[in-house]
Amino acid sequence: MGIGTQDETAFSFDGDWQELAPILFTNLMLSIVTLGFYRFWGITRERRYLWSKTRFIDDRLEWTGTGKELFLGFLLVIAILFVPLFLLQFVAQALILRGHTAFAGMLFLSLYLVFFYVAGLAIFRGLRYRLSRTHWHGIRGGSDDPGFGYGWSYTWKTIVGSFVLGLLIPWSMTSLWSERWNRMSFGPHNFESSPEWGGLMRRFLLCYLAPVVALIVAIAIVVAGAASGGSSGGMAGGALAVVLVLGSIYIVLPIMALAYYVAFFREMIGTLSLSTLNFHFSARTKDWLVLMLGNIGLYVLVFALALAVASMLGVATLPKDPQALAHPPIATLAIIGLIVAIPLGLVGGFVRYRNWHFFIRHLEAGGEIDLASLTQSSTPEPRQGEGLLDALDMGGF
Amino acid sequence: MIDVSGLWHYDGRTAIRHKVDLRTGDDGFSLIGDNVDMGPYRWSDLVRRDNSPDGPVYGLKERAGWRICFASGVPDAIRDQLPGPARYGRWVDQLGFWRASVMFLAVSAVFALAVFKAPDWLAPNIPFAWEKQMGDAMVGDFGGRFCNGPGGQAALDALVRKIDRGKPAVRVHVANIGMVNAVALPGGNIVLFRGLLQEAKSPDEIAGVLGHEIGHVRKRHVVQALMRQAGLSVLLGGFGGNGGGYLNAMLAASYSREAESAADDYAIRQLKSARISPDDTAAFFARMSAQEAKLGEAAAALGYVSSHPLSQSRERAFRQSKQAGTAYAPVIDANQWAALSDICHNDPKVPADDSLFF
Repeated sequence: MGIGTQDETAFSFDGDWQELAPILFTNLMLSIVTLGFYRFWGITRERRYLWSKTRFIDDRLEWTGTGKELFLGFLLVIAILFVPLFLLQFVAQALILRGHTAFAGMLFLSLYLVFFYVAGLAIFRGLRYRLSRTHWHGIRGGSDDPGFGYGWSYTWKTIVGSFVLGLLIPWSMTSLWSERWNRMSFGPHNFESSPEWGGLMRRFLLCYLAPVVALIVAIAIVVAGAASGGSSGGMAGGALAVVLVLGSIYIVLPIMALAYYVAFFREMIGTLSLSTLNFHFSARTKDWLVLMLGNIGLYVLVFALALAVASMLGVATLPKDPQALAHPPIATLAIIGLIVAIPLGLVGGFVRYRNWHFFIRHLEAGGEIDLASLTQSSTPEPRQGEGLLDALDMGGF
Repeated sequence: MIDVSGLWHYDGRTAIRHKVDLRTGDDGFSLIGDNVDMGPYRWSDLVRRDNSPDGPVYGLKERAGWRICFASGVPDAIRDQLPGPARYGRWVDQLGFWRASVMFLAVSAVFALAVFKAPDWLAPNIPFAWEKQMGDAMVGDFGGRFCNGPGGQAALDALVRKIDRGKPAVRVHVANIGMVNAVALPGGNIVLFRGLLQEAKSPDEIAGVLGHEIGHVRKRHVVQALMRQAGLSVLLGGFGGNGGGYLNAMLAASYSREAESAADDYAIRQLKSARISPDDTAAFFARMSAQEAKLGEAAAALGYVSSHPLSQSRERAFRQSKQAGTAYAPVIDANQWAALSDICHNDPKVPADDSLFF
């Protein structure tokens, strides 16, 4: 069937946050009473909802992952990563106590490298897991590659990317993206990714140079203010310079970085294809900015509400006697924990909903699909979920 | 035998959507349509999947991607044969949302209590020999930074014997490090830092501080802290990310404050039974508290984060333990104290270490 005609886009999303809300609230409730362990099942429910509201051509997507898989992935990471780290900490302490600080330093450096490797592995396996649990017309995606090689690529390319003052970052990001996606498949077809990084350099340099330019302008203003004589002129110039530098760090730089990422993402999706299907991502910097500001606004709003509730309950004020603080009752700590956990837990779900909606709204595809030749994937089905990704706190699509 | 019409079907082999009818059999059904695997299939192998806008969807165990959708509705005659929807997860679906919540809450409470309380009664039962093996392996010769000026170690040992006769004996050394502190490491290894000796005005002061560290050893606080740390990591592992980490640090600090108070109590008792005046130790905390006063208002907030109780209240505790009418004597004599204070100065071989780590 042919897709991508003018009047109808290949992807559409018809979810509704009011439908999602009961899912998120019950997830939160169950997460609290299970000390957070329900979240693996909660994430699964969330994804099942988002996928089922996402239509590609004539049928919706289906998420077939389970909470148990994610939980097993989590346990696996605890066993193979965190228990050894816990034990290594004693080795590091012993090295320091015995005065072998150089060896301790080397141990920390190698742990740092291991962390890079594991992060790369986690990104790869997270993507592989998500594709393998995404069904369309009864067909799923996946990868034949377990990702161990990608972990090395991620390590050395990230390190090389930081050479020459970070100027090679666009190269490392681009090459890692295409390396990752070229190993992925859906049904019998391999994804093909052939992005160019040269075109991204202009925006990258802009975000790279913004603070430098701001600094030069700021210095120029101070010098000019001082030269024009009078301490008041110098003061005004200094104040203006401070405003300029801070403004460029907190406003201009993030926007420039976003503009770069937008171009990066558009290039990555735009050069991705699956058999005869070509993908395209239409969001411009302005759209991303609205998305980001909305997400930040949600967090601010909910934290303000939580603080208001907390101050009404009286837990946000400090008692006068420092001795009373020396032994804060567990109940107080629990309330503080809940005041942080409830908003974070709830807003996270709505933010992921907004992100997914945004992603699908701007994702387009064109080309032909032959349903008869879209046969079932022969890739192995990973038995556990994205435990590493979860443990390392890395999300995103 | 009943025929149900108007279903669509994916066989999980290709993406083609088949139009099929369903015909019931003995304890299952078959599918009727062009180019489809008609079965038979068992009702018990069906799994409920998420609804399609067309109607309810079912999958088949062990057959990835196999789906049927009742696009014209489910007839009442077969409704009972079909599995119910999966919502929260198997346990919660079976128990019901509220019953499951209450049960989870009870289990969590017991689990949390175990994590908080288990170290208190488990730690004293762990053989000290194990802890000692681990501690000695970690500490070794402390990288050659222990001071050994003439008579110094003998004076220190004499001091320790005055305030602690417990078995197995603790191992106390002075390290040539400038920090004003002392630490109890695993296995009864106690290290005094040179800075503390330099700051000390009398041997009684050292006795108070050492009594505190020995209190940690005798009360098995080191093992307790390790176990609690490990337990909390598991307990809070459920909350991913940084939130769990901060909560962990706060809880651990609150418990370590408890241990500090217990160690102080131990030191006070030992000083009392050895007839050593607690005045000098109190004076030491008074000097520390003068430094904290400089921090002013911040001291109150410090109560949240510092692992030691604020010096002022410790000073009060030591001061109040003094008993009128008791004849106090210095813990070691002037010659011994001279040898101990200069234990590093009189040892030209030991390197001074004020590196990043100490």
